[in-house]
Amino acid sequence: MNPHPYLRAYMAGITVPTMLLLVALTAFLIARYTFQIPIPIERAIIFPMALVPNIFGLWNMFYLSLRSRRHLPIGFHGAILPFILAPAGFTLATCSGFLAPMSRGLVWFHTVTIPYAVLAVGFSLALIAYYLVWKYLVGFFNQVLGIA
Amino acid sequence: MSEQEQEKIADLLKQSLPPVDTGLKRDLWPEMLRRFDERSLQRHWMAAMFSGGALAAVPWFDWALLALVVAGICAFPSSIPIWLYNL
Repeated sequence: MNPHPYLRAYMAGITVPTMLLLVALTAFLIARYTFQIPIPIERAIIFPMALVPNIFGLWNMFYLSLRSRRHLPIGFHGAILPFILAPAGFTLATCSGFLAPMSRGLVWFHTVTIPYAVLAVGFSLALIAYYLVWKYLVGFFNQVLGIA
Repeated sequence: MSEQEQEKIADLLKQSLPPVDTGLKRDLWPEMLRRFDERSLQRHWMAAMFSGGALAAVPWFDWALLALVVAGICAFPSSIPIWLYNL
């Protein structure tokens, strides 16, 4: 008997980004109100608060549906996610007006400039981070909820 | 079938079936208390996640990858807002 496996996969998927959202929100608030960095929190928080947890949950449901047909280790499955999240985040941030692509790099929050070379390295590190997060954290919650 | 025959069949049926014991053979409360104790002894999920056994099971190359990510963040601290944004 395995009732509602996809619901449990969704719940296991959203747990990690929901917990980390509190960290992100706290950091944004400290940056905005303590260090007076002009971060538009109300626009910047949309992506990590509304989209990322849901995408994690849906991606974990997708992992569960794929598992019976084509088994890809969960770490590698998670490492594919930045290829979806990065363009989505870039688009939303550009439309929201706190990310501007310039010739020297991307300018975040009108203050932080990230050169494209650093961005490429950062994206590679993000792949690694997602691999580890999915392998150990999401995998753990999948075990806890009985869908591993 | 007459009434007498029905009563006779009913008596035979009663005799053939074993008597049902509706009373408890033992006290279930100690068993219940034992289960409560077992549940309280179960480790917290976070303790299970960061237990020595769980950490020892992580292969060395995953530790190396984690170190690489941490080193990258430390080398480019200006990228921290982007990390937080994409969490």
